[in-house]
Amino acid sequence: MSLQNIKRQLQDEFSGYISELSVMYGQEIRFSTDADKLPEICGCLYHQMGMPLVDLFAADERSRGGKFALYYVFAHRTKGVFVLVKTLVDEKKPVFPSITGTIHAAHLYEREIRDLFGLQPEGHPDLRPLVFHGNWPQGVYPLRKDYDGSLRPPMENMEQEFLHIHGTGVYEIPVGPVHAGIIEPGHFRFSVAGEPVINLEAQLYFVHKGIEKMCEGAGIEKCFYISERISGDETFANSLAYCQAVEKIAGVEVPERAQYSRVVFAELERLISHLGDLNAVCTDVAYGFAASQFGMMRIWAYQMTDQICSSRFLRSVNSIGGVRRDFLAGWEKKLQEFLLRLYKELTDTIQIIKSNSLFIDRVEHTGVLDLQTAIDLNAVGPAGRAAGIHRDMRKDFPYAAYGKLDFTVPDHNNGDVNCRINVKLEECFEAIKLIRQALEAMPQGGVHIPVDKAPPYRSALGYTEAPRGENIHWVMSGEDNTVFRYKIRTPSFCNWPALCHAVKGNVVPDFPLINKSFNLSYAGNDL
Amino acid sequence: MQNVLYIPVQLAVMLLLAPLVNGIIKKIKAVSQKRKGPPVLQLYYDFYKLMKKGTVVSETSSWIFRAAPYIYFTAILTAALFVPVTTVLAPFSVTGDMILAVYLLALARFFMALAGLDTGSTFGGMGSSREMMISALLEPSLLVSLFIVGLIAGSTSLYEIMKFSVLSGITILQPVYFLIFLALWIVLIAETARIPVDDPSTHLELTMVHEAMLLEYSGRQLVLMELGAALKQLIFITLLANVFIPTDIFVQGRGFLVTVILSLGFYFVKVVGIACVTAVIEINTVKLRLFSVPNLAALSFAFAFLGFVQYFVIGR
Repeated sequence: MSLQNIKRQLQDEFSGYISELSVMYGQEIRFSTDADKLPEICGCLYHQMGMPLVDLFAADERSRGGKFALYYVFAHRTKGVFVLVKTLVDEKKPVFPSITGTIHAAHLYEREIRDLFGLQPEGHPDLRPLVFHGNWPQGVYPLRKDYDGSLRPPMENMEQEFLHIHGTGVYEIPVGPVHAGIIEPGHFRFSVAGEPVINLEAQLYFVHKGIEKMCEGAGIEKCFYISERISGDETFANSLAYCQAVEKIAGVEVPERAQYSRVVFAELERLISHLGDLNAVCTDVAYGFAASQFGMMRIWAYQMTDQICSSRFLRSVNSIGGVRRDFLAGWEKKLQEFLLRLYKELTDTIQIIKSNSLFIDRVEHTGVLDLQTAIDLNAVGPAGRAAGIHRDMRKDFPYAAYGKLDFTVPDHNNGDVNCRINVKLEECFEAIKLIRQALEAMPQGGVHIPVDKAPPYRSALGYTEAPRGENIHWVMSGEDNTVFRYKIRTPSFCNWPALCHAVKGNVVPDFPLINKSFNLSYAGNDL
Repeated sequence: MQNVLYIPVQLAVMLLLAPLVNGIIKKIKAVSQKRKGPPVLQLYYDFYKLMKKGTVVSETSSWIFRAAPYIYFTAILTAALFVPVTTVLAPFSVTGDMILAVYLLALARFFMALAGLDTGSTFGGMGSSREMMISALLEPSLLVSLFIVGLIAGSTSLYEIMKFSVLSGITILQPVYFLIFLALWIVLIAETARIPVDDPSTHLELTMVHEAMLLEYSGRQLVLMELGAALKQLIFITLLANVFIPTDIFVQGRGFLVTVILSLGFYFVKVVGIACVTAVIEINTVKLRLFSVPNLAALSFAFAFLGFVQYFVIGR
């Protein structure tokens, strides 16, 4: 058993430094350690044992042990095991050692913790504010339990610092936060020499809503609705991650029919998202015909979800303990017909666009994300898979009914826009395949087990492969069936820095194309 | 009589027809995308609407920003006078030649680029620099093409060149004219900010060329800029239509009024035809990378040069 092997290896490597070593839910290895040993242990997990850092967050556990807790989540993707390292930080000395020096992926997490909890990552190379753009008062840390979330502190007026590149002919282009077209806000600061981009810095968090704060103390049912609203086009992926975490805490096994239904809805959402991305990529290269084809197919999928569950965005379809109703009963034939129609149209469209050499020329070698950068930043989802990280949560950590279904993970290595759209195209076909299989394999039976009690102060990871990639939620229950801490890490959080790297060296007019090929969510990042 | 009629007919046809070309192209593109698309006359409605609206001018801009639309529009309108829509009416006596027309267009562009820079906004400057790059790349091709047809016809007056074409039959069937026609078509696409050089329907400021310079304009000033651009497009289309596909030979020998009307009818058909082909090109191509535009300009120049070689070196 690989889980036991990893556990034994950890015991051997770190005997003496670690305590409370335990295994939860058959896949989460947890242990605690002292803060000063952290860089060493994390470095060993990352470099020697080959586990990427997939999440890093803090929780204000002063009410329970008088200290802040930091959780470092590593994922062993080939063996399907998570390792959670916990360490405590004292309120009086709110400092913890930064691991950004050894694990670059920790970079933004540590800045986020500093802004929201006021814990200082010691040795972090870049301590500019991340979440607040200098307009939030110093010393006010919203995710601490003693901060009242309904308060609106006065705005401070400070200039946000950007990285400046100096040199003859180098100038900066400020773009946003408000853009032409109906998209979310984000400020992009390009440093360019003529047209080629030397550096791009994205300033996000303009739509920071305090979702994590809002969930603290709220009931598990209310948090479910909040989780659906994290990011509009990832409603199902986010709510599924949340439900799976709570189901683990409550110890509920979801009925099989519900598991298959979840696969169907998750894949429908993936189809909608990917078709939307392909539409956007084609629009940006002014390929109107292909764009309208993908847009049309996307609307077909929306009409399908609208007919099946009266919600195009799949709102309120999921539920803690299954799916709310047996939505799919009676729709199997219509869905199969739709999938066949979609399959044909998609095949025809791809044939046309693949034979358009001008289009291929435009997307090939544009916005290359190289493998090492992708690994260092923990790029996930289609962006990671296009760059050569062929990992997929559905394969590595099978959830719902994915373990029983047959599908392949696309295999591309160049990391350019062309690879990203190819990954998305292939995933559309895989999604069609998965829905068909799920519809055929789906047994009759119940779809929902009511969950109204969650034991207090238990925690669990919920995870899904959202259309944009690896989506990891961590839930800790509180008293009276409430949520004590809910940490959301969407794929967009990992991929925004990857986008900034992929743009370097390209010309400014190619930025929108590269941006659309990543299609990151602002709402999912800004929380 | 003919000279008196020339200017009003020329102006009326040009101004009324120019926005229609855009409408036709948009309609065809919409049909290719299974959409209904805006009405063919949408641009006229837009102009009417914009005429009634106020203008907003940036506080940081100088007189250039306010003067540019008028200079742009009048320069292009003047240039339009040197590209006759029909050879049946003789132009006014103080005829300018095609070199004047080309540089009137350059003057218009110069002021549009300045206006793009003038407001100091992020995108205007980018548009101006790209526009100047593209135009500098295409100017050799445009001038070489025009000089070759001028050499063949023995004149630099576009009226004379068109007259010469009318007498030589359907000129596009001759190799030299065909090559020059291709060269000028590429110039038409690039000069009028069409796909694959620019995307007229984009909302992405970072990729814009022509539109980026107009971003700050509103109301009447925007009408002048847009109508000017549409006129410029029609100038190039007229050039293609009347030099390479002359039809006035078919309308000769009838009464004066009938001749003019028939000639204009043929002209209208040719303009619509060229608009249709332009739309089909837009449907089938995608926008090039900015740094691939020089290749397209080189292709245009190569066509023009091959035409020159064919006629003057091999042809004789």
